[in-house]
Amino acid sequence: MSIEVKDLSFRYGKIVALDGVTMRLGEGAVGLLGPNGAGKSTLLRILLGFLVPERGEGRVLDYDIRREQAMIRRSVGYMPESDCFVAGMDAVTFTSYFGELSGMPRQEAMKRAHEVLFYVGLGESRYRLLDTYSAGMKQRLKLAQALVHDPKILFLDEPTSNLDPTGRAEVLELIRDISAHKSIQVLLSSHILDDIEELCETVVILNKGKLAAEGRMADLRAINYSLYELRLKGDGEAFRKDLESAGCRVDEMEDGLVKVYMPGAADPMDIFRAAGRTGAQLRYFIKSRTSLEDLFAGVVGVD
Amino acid sequence: MATVREKGYTHWDGKLGERRFPWWPITRTGILLAFRKKRFKFIFAGAFIPSIVFLVGLYISERLEDFKAIIQGSDRLLNIDPKYFATYLTGDWLFFLIVLVLAYGAGGLIADDLKHNSLQLYFSRPLGKKDYLIGKMSVIAFFVLILTALPGLLLVVFKLVFAGSFKFFLQYPWLPLSVLGFSALLTVFFAFYVLLLSALSKNSRYVFVLTFGTYIFSTVLYGILNGIFRTPYMALFSIPANLRQAGAFIFGQKLPFAFPAVWSFAVLAGICVLAAAVLNRKIRSVEVIK
Repeated sequence: MSIEVKDLSFRYGKIVALDGVTMRLGEGAVGLLGPNGAGKSTLLRILLGFLVPERGEGRVLDYDIRREQAMIRRSVGYMPESDCFVAGMDAVTFTSYFGELSGMPRQEAMKRAHEVLFYVGLGESRYRLLDTYSAGMKQRLKLAQALVHDPKILFLDEPTSNLDPTGRAEVLELIRDISAHKSIQVLLSSHILDDIEELCETVVILNKGKLAAEGRMADLRAINYSLYELRLKGDGEAFRKDLESAGCRVDEMEDGLVKVYMPGAADPMDIFRAAGRTGAQLRYFIKSRTSLEDLFAGVVGVD
Repeated sequence: MATVREKGYTHWDGKLGERRFPWWPITRTGILLAFRKKRFKFIFAGAFIPSIVFLVGLYISERLEDFKAIIQGSDRLLNIDPKYFATYLTGDWLFFLIVLVLAYGAGGLIADDLKHNSLQLYFSRPLGKKDYLIGKMSVIAFFVLILTALPGLLLVVFKLVFAGSFKFFLQYPWLPLSVLGFSALLTVFFAFYVLLLSALSKNSRYVFVLTFGTYIFSTVLYGILNGIFRTPYMALFSIPANLRQAGAFIFGQKLPFAFPAVWSFAVLAGICVLAAAVLNRKIRSVEVIK
């Protein structure tokens, strides 16, 4: 296991940020999901060794998060969410600078900076001042500085934020290549569910500081619940209450589509029985493949 | 799907090492970035004018016969003793030039990092807060020492060279130590002073104004308070006055203000402690992820 935490808890004053989170993450790309205030950033801070957990323990690449923070930071590449650069530098100097700070010899860092800048598509503009870079270029530059010391794990915080569709596709393509072919594990924190669905095989969902769901996307879809989409004619309110009393979650979309999240053990025939009891007519019924958005809504309880 | 890769990714086959001085790349880069500013090069070069003037004075003092026609009463005018060196190192013009060089070349050391959110990049590396601050302070140390210790020691050497004997050195063997000691004091003080102000703003222009403003305001305040209370202790409010008082003590000269030099040392140390506390609060790794 490359990341393993057990009973991890942290609070900012009276506010509980993480509450007894236990998880084990293996190889490949892992998506870190959760609404604002769920504890994603706090978890990343603790994994990078910036915060000392109030309770619990954890290891990143077998390094203790309390005692071996320098080793963790040497092995991890971090791409922050916000724009960040050093004023007055060009891309090569910037990238090699952070390679050196990671512990690379100066000449090696410079050589490696050229390589990763070509890899992320900034080869032609590597001698341009960073102050003149566009948002998309800065995003790729952040990825380059995270890769320069050849980390074993990449922590990516909202890697596609502020990007246009083309830029987003390019960055996602790079991340896919890194996680799939370069044996670098990726921990991707994002609020863009499509990004995580596109890149990650495993997902961790945090809600209110607690672990809401964790596992392979396919398993989570299968185990937790079944999703049915239907259209109704008749007393929709009575139908909804009937199903909710049976432990289902019912969401009505703006276009009139009704989504029913049924617990794993429930019988889909209950939907028809509920319709019969409440006098509602079912005009459309389909078992839907759960998207990550549905999974997120089902687990966290938000649309 | 668009492909942006111009070359494939290859793993690096080297080994990441543990640096003896992990802050050194920060120092080297800080110095190089300062010299990338065109105006800074002129300011920095201009800051050597006092040392050149004093070097010329030193030369003339050893060649009085040649310059007799130009300089009248030269025996008293160019008497080379520790006071001559103290005059160079504690002169208001040198302090002013140091503040100018640091405000322009080092004002953005922390301010720019705060502005561009780069602290999170530093601290995601195997660097501690101590390494970061030492790296930044060393940039200031470089500029201050090159304007104080280097010319100061060179003046001693040139005095011996021009005199052609070690008589001066044997007469004042402690002088190089005084030069080094006072240069070290200036280095430590200005390192804390400039970094303190640099950490208070995200705009390096404001830091430039703050660095100059605080320095000049302290002297203006001294003038006003001295006018009201008529006591030399009011000089404790002035940064250059405290530096001069400390410098006179280190060079064994008559103190310019009628109070013990220890008070000036205490004021300078107090500013450093205040700066350390502010820096400790402002430079925090927990703020690296927003």
